[in-house]
Amino acid sequence: MAWEERKRGGLYYTRSWRSPHDGRVVREYVGSGPLAEIAARLDRTKRELAKAKREQEQSELERLKALAAPVFEVSEAAEILAHAYLIAAGCHRHKGEYRRARG
Amino acid sequence: MPEDKTVVTQGALELSEETRIRLAELRALSQKAEAGDKDARRKLRLMVRASSEEVIGRASDVGRRAGRTLAHTAAGGDLLTEEALYVKLDAMRTEIAGEDPTPLEVLLAERIASLWMLTTLLEVLLASEYRKNVEGGPKRLSPSYLIQQSRILESATKRYLAAIRELARVRKLQATAPPVQVNAQVNVLGG
Repeated sequence: MAWEERKRGGLYYTRSWRSPHDGRVVREYVGSGPLAEIAARLDRTKRELAKAKREQEQSELERLKALAAPVFEVSEAAEILAHAYLIAAGCHRHKGEYRRARG
Repeated sequence: MPEDKTVVTQGALELSEETRIRLAELRALSQKAEAGDKDARRKLRLMVRASSEEVIGRASDVGRRAGRTLAHTAAGGDLLTEEALYVKLDAMRTEIAGEDPTPLEVLLAERIASLWMLTTLLEVLLASEYRKNVEGGPKRLSPSYLIQQSRILESATKRYLAAIRELARVRKLQATAPPVQVNAQVNVLGG
């Protein structure tokens, strides 16, 4: 989104977006004057809302990760302990499966 | 997700630095022993005897607290649901650990119960968020958010299934392997 300064004077509002069809950047020439001002404010508000939504989603994801982290840590600890226990008891892994050592 | 107002003492939901160091040592010795280092296997046996009591106890404790925190979050402020989830977690843990469990079985049962709670909570959250998106409206969530949430769920589900397999393996091999004595007192019902 940008205001372009024209050679013959005055500002011209344009907005750009990526085409969902072929991925190319498309630039739309909106206009100048009060209507372009309104369009620019509308775009700015939309951008701010989208940013706020992204931030809210990010903080929600952080909260979920924080909730899962202790469970994942205990899970890893249990895995290490189980593995240590089995190896100490004379087992070994063969293709991911534990087997009793011979003899 | 309901706002979680639980006040948890800082550090209560994570393993202590000392426990982490012990776990890292156990992991390193296990790798050496597995690679055929007989001295490492002997040291591992000694270390399992000497330090697993404390490590298992602490890990079980953190696991139990983490499970309760998840139950609290899942209940979303409904005290009856929260209490029912606590009871369900305790019953599940006791049932999975079985009669006269070894401390390691208690920890593995704890791990399964807390991972079950986590996967259930994430599944419910994700289902409700998908529904919001189908219904449309201002609360629609972005696809990238839903993908990331699905990844957390996928990770939890993988660990949950691996935890069940691990307990089955330990039980199967415990039945035939010479015992490595671990004297740890773990309160199955918690509190």
